Amino acid sequence: MLLTPTTFLTIVACSLYGLFVGSIPGLSATLAASLLVPFTFFMDPLPALVSIVSMSAMAIFAGDIPAALIRIPGTPSSAAYTYDSYALTLQGKSQLVLGADIIFSAIGGLMGAAVLMTSAPLLAEVAMKFSTFEYFWLAALGLSATVMVSAGSQAKGAIAMCLGLFLSTIGVDITLGFPRFTFGSVDLLTGVSFIPAMIGVFGISEVMRNVSQRQMDFAITKVKTKGMFAGVGKLIKKYQWNMWRSGAIGTFIGVLPGAGADIAAWIAYAASKRASKEKELYGKGSIEAIVDAGTANNACLAGDWVPALVFGIPGDSITAVVIGVIFMKGLRPGPMIFEQQPEIIYGVYFAFILANLLMVPFGWLAVKVSSQMLRVPKNILVPIILTVAMTGAFAINNDVFDIITLGVLGIVGYFMERNDYPVAPIVLGLVLGPILEQNFMMSMIKTDWNLLLFFNRPISALLGISTVAMWGFPFLMAFLERTKNKKTV
Amino acid sequence: MGKRSGRFRLLSLTRGTPMGKNDYIGAGIFIALGVFIWAVSFQFPVLAGGHPGPSLFPRVLGTLFIFFSLIVILEGRRKSKTPPAPAAEDEGGNVIIIREKNYFNAVLVIILIAAFIALAPHLGFIITGGAVLFILMWKLHVKPLKNLIISAVVICLIYSVFAKGLRVPLPHGFLWW
Repeated sequence: MLLTPTTFLTIVACSLYGLFVGSIPGLSATLAASLLVPFTFFMDPLPALVSIVSMSAMAIFAGDIPAALIRIPGTPSSAAYTYDSYALTLQGKSQLVLGADIIFSAIGGLMGAAVLMTSAPLLAEVAMKFSTFEYFWLAALGLSATVMVSAGSQAKGAIAMCLGLFLSTIGVDITLGFPRFTFGSVDLLTGVSFIPAMIGVFGISEVMRNVSQRQMDFAITKVKTKGMFAGVGKLIKKYQWNMWRSGAIGTFIGVLPGAGADIAAWIAYAASKRASKEKELYGKGSIEAIVDAGTANNACLAGDWVPALVFGIPGDSITAVVIGVIFMKGLRPGPMIFEQQPEIIYGVYFAFILANLLMVPFGWLAVKVSSQMLRVPKNILVPIILTVAMTGAFAINNDVFDIITLGVLGIVGYFMERNDYPVAPIVLGLVLGPILEQNFMMSMIKTDWNLLLFFNRPISALLGISTVAMWGFPFLMAFLERTKNKKTV
Repeated sequence: MGKRSGRFRLLSLTRGTPMGKNDYIGAGIFIALGVFIWAVSFQFPVLAGGHPGPSLFPRVLGTLFIFFSLIVILEGRRKSKTPPAPAAEDEGGNVIIIREKNYFNAVLVIILIAAFIALAPHLGFIITGGAVLFILMWKLHVKPLKNLIISAVVICLIYSVFAKGLRVPLPHGFLWW
């Protein structure tokens, strides 16, 4: 079942697609996932999910290639060690950097997969005991974490999250079946269609951002691949402790709802620098930094799937897409999926292992043709993305209204990004909104509108206190900073 | 090379811009949205016992929009008091100037999406989609002949994948394309 030709071919095709998109600066793994969704609509559940697994694993690695060659990260996950990669390239060590990128990405990915395979079934057993209270707090915790890790202003991240939650309230409400914010539109009765909204927020906004940049092409030199893996064995031996530490950091960050591979890479980079004997090399060409952050960002990917599969809470923006796909396939993410559709869960495990093993030959190939890939003119690629995005949005319901959703959300996403509002919380809000509201309303009715009873069960209390503490944290920090400033004055 | 790389760095790695007028406008829009949500929510029915039903969650969100927008305004006021950051420099100490962006192209994308929505049911997917591709590539300086060939090939490919492969009933228009 798992090794059917269809599944295998899907993994291979989506791996190549991920390598291509990931290696082109300006096109993110999330964009690649959102453009893939209209195609997954026509696939069986298993190939649909493994397509996203293999694409994202390859895209996160491929982001390292332009980072090393032209000092522009292909995806935000490679930003942490871009300067180090490029500095080593200037020192004539591009082969070693790219070889290390491939191998440590694959190792990180396999470590994350091991954690997913061992922890997800155990957590699923715990999750079986969850009631509406726990699910409400988990969704709230996931959304809060997304806001906390937002780049720039957390208030802006919170506004983006509220926008996603607001969009999720459009349509027939769950308590009384009353149409909210539809203004007489029949199209809005079923709510904002998730897939066109997501392609709009991630895809159209990126198209708009790309076409408004005057500089769209990059000049690079030919890359040598001979002896690429020659020094990597020594690196594994020398930095084995780093590898384990960063694999653990990456997976842990992934398991936290809301934090993605880019955050994992930055945290692993900081931990690496703190523990390193060669701190002065960081930012100027440290291979140790590349080992750590490169391992962490790929380890994070599998970690992200843990809360997504076990609780239905996305670990990052890509798993938000995954949850949308799971719902689209008529399944429900959560502990029951482990009992009722184990073949899907095993398929996801298998895809993670296979994709990370394929990363070595495919990565080598990607580096070999990277000169050509980076030469693909964006002034041709971007219009194609626009047309595929519009066609894909239409294909979901065969409805022109979905293209309107795509366009509107694209404009919103573009203007928000231009003004430093993160857009990933919009999608997470849209996905988690119904879960949050449904569990909140059911809990309120169960407790006869007594909010204190939300803290009555042990796990619910733990999750609730963690969430409330997370809300209070920025205010506490601001207060402490102000007190410190007053003392120094 | 140094200067070129510096510009790339600014465009690709840093996202932050100083708080300015746009932040106040943005916060104002979200406050207005919060007030609007509250206003509309009064039309929603209540549950038995007078408890808020469909209006509860939107009202919480409306309040949060207003609250966080006020924080954005406060952050903006605080940042506007701090002196502006010095001009960015590359490794050689040259000041990096980011070239003006071409915002018309972003507007064009919106126009093309609107045109596709309006025209595809009449002209069909192939003509409208091909025209979208051609116009955008033309604005992005792809040579006319190359543009024409790529537009024709790509739109036929997309049509084949979706209409023939995935059996999506794409808009066919009067020519049935």
